Amino acid sequence: MYFLQIALMVAACCLSNVKTQTTHTNNWAVLVDTSRFWFNYRHVANVLSIYRSVKRLGIPDSQIILMVADDMACNPRNPRPATVFNNANQHINVYGDDVEVDYRGYEVTVENFVRLLTGRLPPGTPRSKQLLTDEGSNVLVYLTGHGGDGFLKFQDSEEITSQELADALEQMWEKRRYHEIFFMIDTCQAASMYEKFYSPNILAVASSLVGEDSLSHHVDPAIGVYIIDRYTYFALDFLEKVEPDSKQSMGEFLKVCPKQVCISTVGVRKDLFPRDPYKTPITDFFGALRPMEFTWAGLNLTEKNAKESALDRRIEKTTKSKMQYVQQFPTELFDDAKSFKL
Amino acid sequence: MMAAKTTARAMGLSTFLKSLFSLYLFLTLFSKSSVECFNLDDQFEEELLIKPLNNDFVYAYFQFTTTWDVPFEAKSFQNCHLFPRVLGEVLGQYSVQELHLSLTQGLWRHEKYGYPVVDAPAGTEIWAWFKEGTKDVNKSWKMLTSALSGLFCASLNFVEPHNTLSPTLSFAPTGAVPPGVHSNSSLLRYSTLPREVVCTENLTPWKKLLPCDSKRGLATLLNAGHIYNTNYHSLGIHVRPICKDISCESTAVELKQTVSLVYDMLQVGSLSRDWSFRKLFGQGLSGPCPLASSSRVYVDTTQNGSIFEFQLRPEPKAVLKSIRGGATSKIAMYDLKTMHLVSLLNIAATYTGEKLEHVNISPVLYANRYIIGYGQENGGIVTKVINNHWQPLDIVYMENIPWFLPVYLHTFQAEVNGRQLVPHAINFVPGRERERPYQLEVALRIPARSTTTLSITFDYIFLKWQEYPPDANHGFYVGAAVITSSLPVARNYTGVPHDGSTLLTRSVLIHCLRQIFLNQDKSFENSIIRFCRND
Repeated sequence: MYFLQIALMVAACCLSNVKTQTTHTNNWAVLVDTSRFWFNYRHVANVLSIYRSVKRLGIPDSQIILMVADDMACNPRNPRPATVFNNANQHINVYGDDVEVDYRGYEVTVENFVRLLTGRLPPGTPRSKQLLTDEGSNVLVYLTGHGGDGFLKFQDSEEITSQELADALEQMWEKRRYHEIFFMIDTCQAASMYEKFYSPNILAVASSLVGEDSLSHHVDPAIGVYIIDRYTYFALDFLEKVEPDSKQSMGEFLKVCPKQVCISTVGVRKDLFPRDPYKTPITDFFGALRPMEFTWAGLNLTEKNAKESALDRRIEKTTKSKMQYVQQFPTELFDDAKSFKL
Repeated sequence: MMAAKTTARAMGLSTFLKSLFSLYLFLTLFSKSSVECFNLDDQFEEELLIKPLNNDFVYAYFQFTTTWDVPFEAKSFQNCHLFPRVLGEVLGQYSVQELHLSLTQGLWRHEKYGYPVVDAPAGTEIWAWFKEGTKDVNKSWKMLTSALSGLFCASLNFVEPHNTLSPTLSFAPTGAVPPGVHSNSSLLRYSTLPREVVCTENLTPWKKLLPCDSKRGLATLLNAGHIYNTNYHSLGIHVRPICKDISCESTAVELKQTVSLVYDMLQVGSLSRDWSFRKLFGQGLSGPCPLASSSRVYVDTTQNGSIFEFQLRPEPKAVLKSIRGGATSKIAMYDLKTMHLVSLLNIAATYTGEKLEHVNISPVLYANRYIIGYGQENGGIVTKVINNHWQPLDIVYMENIPWFLPVYLHTFQAEVNGRQLVPHAINFVPGRERERPYQLEVALRIPARSTTTLSITFDYIFLKWQEYPPDANHGFYVGAAVITSSLPVARNYTGVPHDGSTLLTRSVLIHCLRQIFLNQDKSFENSIIRFCRND
């Protein structure tokens, strides 16, 4: 057992250039594609576009919960296996080479989504499927799929209503599971999903207003279906120009798809969000830059945990005895006299 | 105690991290003497076997083996060097004795391809032996599969009691076990998820378990775009304890990570059968993984000159002869550790001779499977087992039928040329609705040069509306049947000459082969309840 006295010398670094006061300590992202079937390729491209951006801007995979309801990359109909593109000219492979999908296929259900947000998961759920946020977490929630006035469809078989979503976010707030939420949704009548929100510190943006359709960008003849939706296409276009040290603000991001290119009207809800979006850096939600706190306190790194479970001891005892390889095929079954006669 | 509260943002962060890192280095060096050293009794070997098959197919098999001289228990995995700690912790936590996991897409066609090194059915197959004395095996199994689902980005959390079996005649432990364990099948759990898809998201975490990740060595050849355009691809993880020496009083841990790929060369690129690293994997090889104790590429040239003729470039330094079960195979070997590569290594085969007629020598034993019956009430599953050998063969046939297809044992028939075969043993565990599947194991001796038809009939039952998947139109999948046999000859057998295990294990592998045949996945549609072939 030894002590490691870590004395952290704080470099005189950039104490002065902090412009906007932010108090979050970590960043998380929940990115959900709720659509199954090949003709919804564009929704997978949407969600992977945002995934690519947040990962590029520094949120680690362990803090991104990616839910993809169907497999497009390795779908037999995909002429370019293991890719999902944002553009018919194959500008960006948004699927990438090191993607980690946390919930996929049949796992993408309303129940799992609400359980994830509220943290009420069954025992044994691995860490990669948990939203381990706390009161210092800034959470980006992105949803895409097919929606209507007040609901979003999951897998073409069930829906989450706007009220249910609002209640889930309220439960998160009550359980101190977030500091601020940036809620993005790209569906038809998307604005209806944030209308019922009543919890504080939520900034919301939707690709279309109630009564409006949200439109796709263009068709890729090689795959035979629409490749990406308009709103996310332009959002990705904007995010591609953002770097971890960029100065763009959330205010600029909210205007990313004006009506003449989006065709639908982008809806924004700011009343729950106390800060001015123009003074909120975009990296507060899309990156993982955060304030750090240094301490002079000692840290005790013990070498060994002396506790051993009874099971370990028992196993140790059994490994002492002689081991052996066993026969892979039960030949003894065929030894008896009543075997089959030719 | 004094706390300095500061805020570091982007610009200063890297400087700060650098200073922190040098501080860490300093501390590590300084305190080295007092820290217990890593146990370095571990080694890592990487191997790639390329076997040109008949009919323009090429089989590429990667095998990454990590062996570590520690007892297989939770304590050992607290300090890991080459062994992936993240996997070790899970195995130790749930007192796993042995674990086999495969993620596969496509169908291995034994009749065309021969036998693979590691067999795997389409979808996900997982089986594990738990240690003696495990308190609640069912709970450990559930926790293990949940943990692995997070580790490999697969839906293994769908492994439930209602799709889990404990076979008694198949799936004996492949590693070293304490005496008596292999007869206690209550420690064995087996499950398949035939619908599970496999894509880059599974390959990414799989690669992260390797000591060199995919940065160096043979793993750099595993590029998603070139893996997922194959006719068959399978990722595997196999962990087991192995004997340290002949006396086998203590064991070591062996982790084998495998990738099997079958390329159809006519689809992959040009219209020729020529293959090369660049064509198969999209790039050449820059060199071995520096952490590997051996790094080798093998090319099976047994059929070169008989069925087809090809020229290898660069010329192999050595040609090995491997004799197994009476069959000799010639294998060209490239040892990456001794080769001095100036540019990327691109092993290529150029076919020279006339394209001969396809000669297909079928393996000794293979099988086909299909669904029979019509209407909405009942149907049946038929498995045809073909024995090409001149002697009778002993097989164990295992069926894994989901609870929603109740089968009737009295309808089971094993028929050869109109005669009924009498099974040597039958082990049947009837299923229970929503609780457990139907498990049928039959030990049979099938006559020489014959086709045995195994059949059993089942009912269709109604599901509750919420039990249908969102794409019920796609149908329901039934897991693979498994046929285990000990083959007298090693014709069509594929193996790496030195497979990184101890001698003892190899002698077991020579005489015993297990084949897993997944034939067509069967599906039925819920709107019009009918069966269709879906392969």
